[in-house]
Formats: sequence, structure tokens, C-alpha cells
Amino acid sequence: MPSIHSPLRMPRNMLASAIIAFTLAGCVSVGTQTRTGSHDYKSRVAVHKDGGLQISASALSSDESLAVYGVPLANKRIQPVWIEVENHDDATYWLMFPGLDPNFFPASEAADAFTSEPRSSELEQRFQKLAFRNPTPPGTTSGGFVLTNLDEGVKMIQADLVAHNQHKSFSFVTHVPGFRADYSSRRSFIRQGYAENEIRDYTHDSAFRAALESLPCCVTNKKGSRNGDPLNLVVVGGLNDAFPALIRRGWRPTEKTWSGSVTRIMKSALSGERYPYAPVSPLYLYGRGQDLALQKSRDNIHQRNHLRLWRSPMRYRGKPVWVGQISRDIGSRLTIHSPYLTTHKIDPDVDEARAALIEDLAYSQNLARIELAKGVGHADKVKPRRNLTTDPYYTDGYRAVLIFDAHPRSLAEIKFLSWERSDGKLVEQPPPVKQ
Amino acid sequence: MGKKRWEACRTASSCEAMMKQSFYSLQQALQCPLYSWRILILFLLSLALASCATWQPPGSAGDDSILRQRAVTASVGGVRVNAAVLSTADSQRILGANVNKTGVQPVWIEVDNSTQKPLWLLRSGTDPDYFSPLEVAWSFHSLLPSGANARIDDHFNALGFHNPIRPGAKQTGIIFTNPHHQTRLLNIDLVGHGVVIPFTLFPSVPDDATDETGVNIAKLFADTPAVDYRLSGKFRAALEKMPCCATDADGAETGDPFNMVLVGEFADIGAALVRRSFRKVREDADDSQHVFGRPPDVVVRKEAQGGAPADWMRMWIAPLSYQGQPVFLVQAGRAAKGRFALPNDDDPALHPNVDEVRNYLIQDLLYSGGLAKLGFVSGVGRTASGEPRSTLGGANYYTDGIRAVLFFETRPLALSDVKILDWEPLLKRSETRAIMESKTRKLH
Repeated sequence: MPSIHSPLRMPRNMLASAIIAFTLAGCVSVGTQTRTGSHDYKSRVAVHKDGGLQISASALSSDESLAVYGVPLANKRIQPVWIEVENHDDATYWLMFPGLDPNFFPASEAADAFTSEPRSSELEQRFQKLAFRNPTPPGTTSGGFVLTNLDEGVKMIQADLVAHNQHKSFSFVTHVPGFRADYSSRRSFIRQGYAENEIRDYTHDSAFRAALESLPCCVTNKKGSRNGDPLNLVVVGGLNDAFPALIRRGWRPTEKTWSGSVTRIMKSALSGERYPYAPVSPLYLYGRGQDLALQKSRDNIHQRNHLRLWRSPMRYRGKPVWVGQISRDIGSRLTIHSPYLTTHKIDPDVDEARAALIEDLAYSQNLARIELAKGVGHADKVKPRRNLTTDPYYTDGYRAVLIFDAHPRSLAEIKFLSWERSDGKLVEQPPPVKQ
Repeated sequence: MGKKRWEACRTASSCEAMMKQSFYSLQQALQCPLYSWRILILFLLSLALASCATWQPPGSAGDDSILRQRAVTASVGGVRVNAAVLSTADSQRILGANVNKTGVQPVWIEVDNSTQKPLWLLRSGTDPDYFSPLEVAWSFHSLLPSGANARIDDHFNALGFHNPIRPGAKQTGIIFTNPHHQTRLLNIDLVGHGVVIPFTLFPSVPDDATDETGVNIAKLFADTPAVDYRLSGKFRAALEKMPCCATDADGAETGDPFNMVLVGEFADIGAALVRRSFRKVREDADDSQHVFGRPPDVVVRKEAQGGAPADWMRMWIAPLSYQGQPVFLVQAGRAAKGRFALPNDDDPALHPNVDEVRNYLIQDLLYSGGLAKLGFVSGVGRTASGEPRSTLGGANYYTDGIRAVLFFETRPLALSDVKILDWEPLLKRSETRAIMESKTRKLH
């Protein structure tokens, strides 16, 4: 994919990164990795059942993948995921690899990464033998690996199984040992974090909308003394509906900033290569840093969309409600407001990033409803607000409310802006007669 | 209005003034011990990096008459769409900068909504990796702050496409996309409450040699003496009799296998491909493959991130149709080494495992919302174990001999809508293998 950067700007960015990398050399250290046995991943297998289908899944650490495949897959940023499908249903099912990772690695391509000419048929055969093989007919069990892009710390696994006129979806959030992990993401899924009396389940739209509109406008710094990026996103759903949608569209967990990731961010900036696992710094809501940070990398580190989510004490018709922030990185810039001297330049039109996410997730098969709620507060282009790294932004003041459902649905089945319609803001009417 | 040049550093003296201002700020900032070292480094960087990026405000940004003249147009269900790809000269004239040179292809789109519903244009359907207007504008910013940057932003933002398109209204704007070549495969998905109106248009890319893909496809389909099959069984038998493989231009040597068949209107197939990030990119090696006396009619590639070699689909319109719908004979393949090819490795040799590419492309297209039915037929011919078949350029490949048949529809489809046809032989063969493997696993 071509770079958007002008020939003039690219060398300047590289020079900037080189100088910063040089400045920081010696200050950074890479986190230690613990060694794990080759079959420990089987002890971490998570199991889900739906009717006659049972799916088991586990993501391998770098040591485990080296032990299983005999080559250091993690060095090429490849991570095997073990999947076992036990089919007691009456239909033949296919596991969809692009559902696990839209940019997954076919076994033969991954084998090529470790082969110089002439091609090693032994290596490729080994990779093929280990690969998950479709289909899984009734009464059988299939097991094997799908090679995904490397995620460290936490791995979101989405298994879409398709049969004739049928689709079953299984979602897992697992941890990957051996890395300097950020476990808060995983905890946010498995632990409520709120006392029962703090949780409120909204069944009426008007009350839910009012609750969303009374949320703070923005994230803050750790002390809560300064406002940062606008809270322009609400995700309604959880492991079975919202997160499968995000994974299918290439959204992946990221890590908090730590010194090892700075080394890699510098390397990526210098080489111009895509670094799909770049860190984001913590922002604060409910007195804590984000529960989950996701990103969708595009061409290279300069081009990413990232979002942060906090699990709220709200429910909407029993579904979890996540509140968050979405922005589009359009480049890197120098700053004195970060100890690393660089930060991502965000697109000041934050509503564009919000719209881009809605449009992207419209293709996810699980987006059921799109609503808009106030609460961010209007910020004018000529008098923009600034986030914590002094990037200017402006907005119409709305937050997108995305409601997900586990039942797959096509583009035509998505419901649009019923709240706006009830306000009379979105009028559907016969168009004027044209002369 | 005459052209007025806006530059971050218009003259040597203004550059000098900015440097002086920076130096003054530095003296002030260094008084603060907390930030002094960071500011010092930033100042040195600023000096090292200061340069004079230029952007020229266009004099005729609002004049889209040239685009209208060559725009392609289509009308469906009360909505009319016009679209044109901007040339380098258009970009310079309208945007004030040659954005095409930075790997961005601006596409001008006009939507005239005569329906009763507000509509949204889903830019992710036009290009899943599109660029925002301010993202493109930022690449023309100067490093040192100036009012010119804000003017560049305003200009690009005003020209971007903005939703929604209200009932009875017309909306015009530019979407900044990744480039297609020769003729753009342009998908425009318009959605409203309970409705999707998809368009596939074929605007030419002005700075490339034109090939008029859409026109050619329609003409080829009209000109090709096609036998129309109404019954599924007879259609399947006809597909099995199609040639196994392409040849070279002389018909002397055998080329890559035809391991896929796509059935449907090209607009529906194109929409499904674009939604999954396929782009129309043709390379020299594609034209060495021939069938029906010609090279491929259309070639699309799904390029990996960072510009790494891509999966390809070379498509020929076949001399048969199914229930009046066109049929495309397709080579699905991937270059050896794939994403792990070295940057200077320009050998596009076919990867020997062609079945793997075929199977994964099917899976990918299942997520396109356009795939309605899936079946498998024979016709490629199975290669014997340890005896790969050779193709043009000396590459070898092996295959189970199956071609996948994919049927596309206009109506938006969910994963659970896909029908799997009970055609032989891949299903039975792979089911038998899976049952055997499962039994073996249980024994161990």
C-alpha cells in the first residue's frame, strides 16, 4: 500500500525519529520473557458450546510457537492460535480464518518466511500438517492452528463457523504468557468491577439516552484536573456481539506505553514499516485508565485509528455498556507533553473518525443499531478544544451509540437514528418535486 | 482571481523571522527546568527539519465542470450517482496540490437523492483504507506553525464528501482513496433506515492508459456467443468442461489453472471485491496468460499492508451464462513468498499451493455481503502426489483439481444467508478425509 507521506515529509519524519531514537538509546530496556513449555497452551484452552458445536481455543506464546513449529514465528510477528471444533450438530461447518484475523497468514506463506530457495517441502509440510483443516462434518472433531498477527498480553479470538444457511459465532479473550502483559483488558471482560448496587440496567430508551448525555464530555489526565479527548463513542454489547464485530474488521488490542514498546515504535518510524501493535498512553475515566485500547493499523505507524473503552456501570437491556473515545492518527509529531517527545497527531475533525468507525462496523455483520446522543459539547473549528497533548479538535458534540447483536445481519438490516427521528431532527419525507 | 501563492516560508526573511521567534521562545522555555532538556532537543530538531513546504491555493476549486463532463453516471431506486477520478491536473486545479503523487487517488462523487429517506455513503465500502480529508491535508503542512496550515485544512475539508444526503437533496464531494489503475472499480454503498442502494461504476483513471473495463465487460458479454444454462446440473457439467488452464499467447505452453468461477453481474462481483479491499491492479505477468484468444479481461489484487505482494484474481468473461447472468473464469493465485518477499524480489512466480489461495479467497468473500451461493466442480485436473504441474515462467504447482463456483447477488447478505450447493466432489472428498482424521485422532 502506498504511503500518503510526501517525498519531502518522509525523510524529515525519519530524521526526527532517528534523532529521538539516538537520544533515547541506552534509556530503554526490553521486558523479560518467561519461558513456557511447548504444550502449556493446551492447559489454557478456553471452551465454548452452542448447541451441538463445541469450540476450544488458545493462543500460543512465542516460546510455545517455537517449540511447536520449530521456527521462531514470533520474530516474524506471527502467532498460532489453537482451535478445536467438535461437531455434534447435523451440518458440516467451515471455520472462517479471516474472522480470526482479516490479515491472517496462510500456512504456506508463513512457511515461506523461514525458507530460502529452493523451497523446503519438509517445512511447508510441517506447517500444513499443523494447520487447521476445513471442514468439520457431523460427528467429527477437527483441531489445528490458525496463524494470526502477533498480539501480546491479551488475545481476542473470534471463531466464525459457517454451514449451509447457518452461522455460529464464538468469542474468546485469552491471555498470552511470556510477555510483559497488560492484563487489565482481560480483567475488564471477566470481572464486573462494579458492585451490584452500582449497576443500572436501562430498558427504556429515553432514560438510557439521558444517562449517556449526562456522562462527562471528555477523558481526563490521571489527577482528573485537565480534560483530554472527547468521549464520543458508546459501545453496547460484549463478548458475543460487539467484540466479534471489532475483530472481524481488524481491530486489535494494544498495550499501554512502556519502554520496550518505545524501542519498537522508533524502529517502525525509522523503517516506515507497519507496526500493528503500537502502544497508546493511558487516559482516564471513572478514576482509572482505559479498560481496553484497540487499534486498526493501516499503512504504517503514522496511520492508525485507535479507540479506548471503559466498562461503565450501565446496562442497556442487559447488555454491557462501554464508554470511550475514537480518533484517527494522521501522523507523528514532536511534543514536550510526552516523556517520549513524540505523540500521534490526531485528525482535528474527530467527528470524521467517529463516522469512519460507524461505517467500518456497518460491514461487521453484528451492528444492529446506530444512535447519536449529546454530551460531548460543541467545539467550533475556529475555537477548537485541545486534548492532553495539545492537539486541537472540533466536534458537533455528539457521541455515537453503537448497539450490537449476536444474530448476523446485513447492511440493510441496520436500524438508523431512531432517537434523531423522534426529535424530528431527521425527517423522512417526500422530496420536493423537481422542475 | 489571480493565483496567490501561500507558502509556509514565503521568503528568506520570513524564514529568518520564524527562526528568531523560535529562538526567543527557546530562551523563555529554558527558564523552566522541568521541560528545558525536551525543549532544547525539540528546538535542535526544528532547526534541522525546517523546510519550506509549499501549497498553492487553487483559483478554480469550485469549478467541477471538467469532472462532470467525463463523469460516469448511474441511477437506481430514485438515486442518481455521478463519479469521476481526479487527474493530476484536476488535483492541482481543485485541491491546490498534486495529492496523486502521494499515493492518494481522489474520487469526485455526486449523489442526487430523490428518495424519501436520508442516505449515508459508506466510505469504508468504497475503500476500507480511505484517507480523511485532513489526513491528506496534513501531508502538505509545513512543520513550523502558520496560518497556511489552517487554510489547507479548511480547503481539503470543504471538498470532502459529507453525510448525510437528505431526501430531495444533492451532495457532492471527494473521497480520498488508494489508487486503482486504468479503470477504477468504484463501489458506492448508500444506506438508510432499512435500505441499501449499492452502485458499481467504472470511471477511467485519467493519467493511466484507459481500458474501459466496465464498457468492455458489457460489450464482451453482449458479443460473446453464450449458451445460457437454466438448470443447475447442466451448468455444473458445462463448467467442468471449461479449459483446465490458460496458455501463452501462442497456445503452445500451459499456464496457470482456472480454479475459480464467479457468476453474477460484474457490478455485484466488483462491489463484493472492493468491500474486501481488492483493487484493480494489472501487472505485466498477467498479460502472458491467455484463454478465449485474449489476456485477462479484469485483474484485481488484494494487496497486503506495506505494499507487499498480493493475492490476485485474473478474470475472463466465459462464453456461457447462467440464468442470464455472466460467468467469469478465474485464476486465483498468490506470489511465492507472499508478504515475506524481499523488497528487491520482483519475481511474481506462482505459489505452488494454489488450492490454499482459492480456499482463503472464498472465505474472504464470504464477508463481502455479496456472496449468495457456493459450490465446487472438477475441471482443473488433480496433480499426482510428487508430480507438480508446470506453468508459464517455470513455476510448478499442485492442486486437488477443484474449481470453486461463487454466485453473487445485489441484495445485501449476512454470513448465515450463504447457501452451500450440494455439488461434488470437494465436499464429499474433504468430508471423508476429515472423518478419517477424526477417527485417527480418537484412536491416539
